[in-house]
Amino acid sequence: MRFFFSLLLLVHVAVSADDKPFAPESIDGVRIVTAEEAIELILDNPGMPIIDSRKKTEYVKGHIEGAESLLDTEMTEADLEAIVPERHTTILFYCNGIRCLRSSNAIVKVKEWGYTNLVWFRGGWKEWNNKLLPVVTD
Amino acid sequence: MRIEHLSIKSVTIAIFVMIGAVAMVLSLLAGSFFRESALDAQMSSLSRVLEVATQEMQQGIRGHSFDLGMKLAHSRALVEAFSTASESGNDGKLVALLDDPFISGFVGFSEINLVKLRVYSPDLEFVGESSVGIQGTRQALPGYLANLIRNRGRDDRLKGVDALWLSSQGPLHSAVIPLGGLRPVGYLEVVVDPAFNLKDIAAITRTPVSIYAMSDELLSTVNSGNDSEYLPVEYVLFTPDSVPAFRIVGLEDIALLSDEMARIKTVTITGFLMLAFATLLLALWLFSRFMLSPVSAMVRNMRAMAQGNLDMAVDNRALREFHELSDAFNTMASQMRMRTNDLERLLDLDDSAILCFDRDREMVYCNRSAATLFGYSGDEISDLDFTDLFVDDVAVLTARLEGTAGRRREDKLHEVLTCRHKDGYEFRCDSVINAIDVMGQSGHAIALNTVAGDDEIMSSQSEQRLDAVEQSLTSLLEFARSNPSLMLGLGNLGELSDVDPTGGVDKGTVREQVVSVMNLALACWERELGKSKLDLAEESRIWPVYIDKSTPTTRTLDKYLSLENCTKNPRSKRVVDTAEFVLRHLPDENSAACEGLRRALDEFRLLLAGVKAKSRQPEG
Repeated sequence: MRFFFSLLLLVHVAVSADDKPFAPESIDGVRIVTAEEAIELILDNPGMPIIDSRKKTEYVKGHIEGAESLLDTEMTEADLEAIVPERHTTILFYCNGIRCLRSSNAIVKVKEWGYTNLVWFRGGWKEWNNKLLPVVTD
Repeated sequence: MRIEHLSIKSVTIAIFVMIGAVAMVLSLLAGSFFRESALDAQMSSLSRVLEVATQEMQQGIRGHSFDLGMKLAHSRALVEAFSTASESGNDGKLVALLDDPFISGFVGFSEINLVKLRVYSPDLEFVGESSVGIQGTRQALPGYLANLIRNRGRDDRLKGVDALWLSSQGPLHSAVIPLGGLRPVGYLEVVVDPAFNLKDIAAITRTPVSIYAMSDELLSTVNSGNDSEYLPVEYVLFTPDSVPAFRIVGLEDIALLSDEMARIKTVTITGFLMLAFATLLLALWLFSRFMLSPVSAMVRNMRAMAQGNLDMAVDNRALREFHELSDAFNTMASQMRMRTNDLERLLDLDDSAILCFDRDREMVYCNRSAATLFGYSGDEISDLDFTDLFVDDVAVLTARLEGTAGRRREDKLHEVLTCRHKDGYEFRCDSVINAIDVMGQSGHAIALNTVAGDDEIMSSQSEQRLDAVEQSLTSLLEFARSNPSLMLGLGNLGELSDVDPTGGVDKGTVREQVVSVMNLALACWERELGKSKLDLAEESRIWPVYIDKSTPTTRTLDKYLSLENCTKNPRSKRVVDTAEFVLRHLPDENSAACEGLRRALDEFRLLLAGVKAKSRQPEG
């Protein structure tokens, strides 16, 4: 009986997971990077803005060193301008991973605001954490 | 044992019993193997569960170790203290900072057993360690982890690594994290004792688990504490460089499995046996219906035909081979019947009186001319012997042929015999007496022709005719020799049991009982009804009445009243009929004499039934 319920739960989770949408494979004019490429980018561009589009609670539990928390739905042009005043500055966006749409939504908004040099770490926090890369916890 | 002694039924049953026995043994063996296989599968399953549970336990250690390590590795104070210690060698502050998690605690403090914190330079040189925790271990990064870090590529240089390793104090787990975040200044090693978490395996597997060090020291044990039946399953946890670290023994509760297996085994074997038994019964029924019964009927019919009843046919409703066999037998019987009829007709057509006697000098055959010559009916003449038919002592004549081949012409006796007619007068006949084989024993055939004149020599024509008759008779008797009861069909001489009883004892007993019943019947007849023996013969019409010298006699009936004179093959039906006739005519059915006769008749019938049943049994 327990096995049966476990199986049902697994099926439910699998179906639910399948229902959850994937982030787009690509966004026009936006460079997509892996965790390793993101590290190289960060190390090569000290002070490069890194935008964490997740919820604040998730950010507090752990984030990439130097990242700023800006939830995609709450992010305004003014908020971003306060961090990145120049429209041509390279900005790295990430959220929870490929099943998370926050960073892609944020990039779409930012593109509309005129920012041109956008980099998207599509694998996001899940990929970063799985690779046991350094994280910052507050 | 000879094959002729085995019946199809016994062989069939033996084969099915063997098949059943083999099937039963195989089912028991299969049940045993099935249980072993189930236990093996259960052990394999638990082993895999233990492996997964161990991996999950290690995952927990890794998670907490990295959480602590990541937090410390980004501590600015620790990085500064590390830099100070690296440059100046003053590690006081560094050690204090490394001791802090042991003293102040950390997130997940209760989940792992932190035993050491160490820091290394980028070249993996030992820089410092916490003063708290395990002592006595070598102050260097475990070899496996050091090699891993040294040999990895640029892309992986910031990734944390971890491994189980074997220290002098026992197996330990280390997680190594770059110190200083994305711009590392060294490495931080978080050392944890995994034995603390091994008990989690029991919680994950939900089975009693005992953990042993490779030195067989018991590190942890979780037992269920009940009396269930357990099957120990061992799993060895290795370090990444294939050194055995722990021996984990899980105890699988197989009481339920054993009960289930026993139940399945019982149900399976019972079901199998019932099915096998049902199949056996069905097969036996099919065999009986389509093989044994038809064959039994065929054998019964064949035996009856072999005993002279050539008018019946073997039932050929059977499987093809038996059907063909029955048809062949019926064809053979038909041909034999035709030939026998031809011979019998030929003998009946002959003017000569032909009589055939067995070794006991009782008649076994006579043709129609013989009955006519002596004035008897066929039934009457069958009870007679030499002395009844001939005035001359034929026994003396036949004795001259004893010991000769009997079949050769020169061994024949040509005599003129004085015969006795039923009505008492005497007449003379030319005779040819041959010694012949009657039912495997010596017998005699006598051909008679009335003498035209005294001492007249038999003409050569008559002799030739007698020779032809003798040949026919010999052919007929040849059939009878291979089939003794065939004689009955020719001479209408009575029942098989009377002619061919199964043994001397039964035959003698039957004769004794015949004489007893006949005497009782005659006594009742005379005493209760006041009538004579002659009245009994005449009224019952069962016994012939002869006229000897103008005096009516009952020679045949008289023979049945004396054991000495009684024929060797008495006609039991006549005896039964006589007793029943007397019983029917007795005025008082409850008289003692009547009761005695009835009881004797019942015993005689039982005796006959036993004799007949015995005579129907197959030989051997």
